[in-house]
Amino acid sequence: MSARDERRTNDPLDLEALPGQAGHLDDEDEQQGQSGPAADPQGRGRDESEKLDQYLLRRYHLYGDRKAREQLITMYLPLVRSLARRYASRGEHFDDLVQVGAIGLIKAIDRFDLSRGVELTTYATPNIVGEIKRYFRDKGWSVRVPRGLQELNIRLNKVIDELVPKLQRSPTISELAEAANATPEEVLEALETSQAYNSVSLQASPNGEGGEEDAGLIDYLGGEEEAYDTMEDRTTLAPGFAKLDKRERYILHLRFFEGLTQSQIAERVGISQMHVSRLIRRSLEKLREEIGELDSPEILRSSGDDDR
Amino acid sequence: MAERINLEVPADPSAVDTVLTIVGGISARLDYSLDDLDDVRLAVEMLLGDALELEKLDTIAIRAEVADGWMKLTAGPFRSAELRRRVTIGRADCIDLCLLLRRTMDAVTVEGDEATYSVVLERCPRGVSR
Repeated sequence: MSARDERRTNDPLDLEALPGQAGHLDDEDEQQGQSGPAADPQGRGRDESEKLDQYLLRRYHLYGDRKAREQLITMYLPLVRSLARRYASRGEHFDDLVQVGAIGLIKAIDRFDLSRGVELTTYATPNIVGEIKRYFRDKGWSVRVPRGLQELNIRLNKVIDELVPKLQRSPTISELAEAANATPEEVLEALETSQAYNSVSLQASPNGEGGEEDAGLIDYLGGEEEAYDTMEDRTTLAPGFAKLDKRERYILHLRFFEGLTQSQIAERVGISQMHVSRLIRRSLEKLREEIGELDSPEILRSSGDDDR
Repeated sequence: MAERINLEVPADPSAVDTVLTIVGGISARLDYSLDDLDDVRLAVEMLLGDALELEKLDTIAIRAEVADGWMKLTAGPFRSAELRRRVTIGRADCIDLCLLLRRTMDAVTVEGDEATYSVVLERCPRGVSR
């Protein structure tokens, strides 16, 4: 082996050392990359694709090579399209979703940590999906939910509000079904639809019905300022909480640190249980995105704990 | 005797909704309250969300065992050391997967060896002991 060959083998940035690669990042390489790692016209195997990813990521992160970044984006656009296609039937244009997903991809490439030893696909997928979901969430997503389910959803909100004080506990599905004049399956489907598609705005009506005369969630929470100011001391600095607004922090605090049930939170805050459920999920999504980037274990909790 | 329901779904975010629907159906059959049902769904949703983020799997198997209002869900097989860490180790004052699972389920355990393991979630309705 010549000294040049040896140098190549030991240099992770040497593209010539990669199997199946011609050499430099020229136009031909970019053409090859356009089909993406999943369908490589050059027949690159998985290992070779991973090596190419690593090479390009190093070029970009260590040397600021923008061309490497562009090639990665081009290579992974098929993945973005594939993920966007899953959400294309939900009332938004496919091309718009691809654009949004591409933002997630770019963020993943920019934030990629070479030292973690994970593959770009693994890291990029949740980023792309997260960006698409955020798009729906921020846009006030109203998906094409069958009218019957929408109406049942509204009825369920009212029924839950009536049943909780009457039963002094959270109602069961069969109780909800009976009160809403629906089958348990329909109730489950309506709850599922509500979780998946309803966006929750703090400006939205807490009963989920909308209308200009309805007070927004912010108004309901107004009286809680003192309570969540007290809470702030303990949890403002909790990882990920900085990304949440005060009210989201308050509701998560009540649920996970104070141990209140959703119906108890609903009662305390003055909004429906379903609304609390959706708010918790939305806040947790934000937290997950944030916490994913902070990654050092500090305190052990024994796996047998029962904190509930 | 516990009743068993075995489910195997593609390891894909879109399949999580299917799992949640089935878990919801089981909870409804057990006459769980809305609070209980939502706790179980949240735990499963977050666990599978992290698993899909961290694992390279073709499918995920979920086994549900139910008896007398008690539900035991076993998800796996997983290999990610990071997922195991997230399930068993949490940070102080941080709503991470570890805390979330323990606030929503009665028991959270990991079964198996270092290489391959399953996460077991157990739950009874509130106010009911197993």
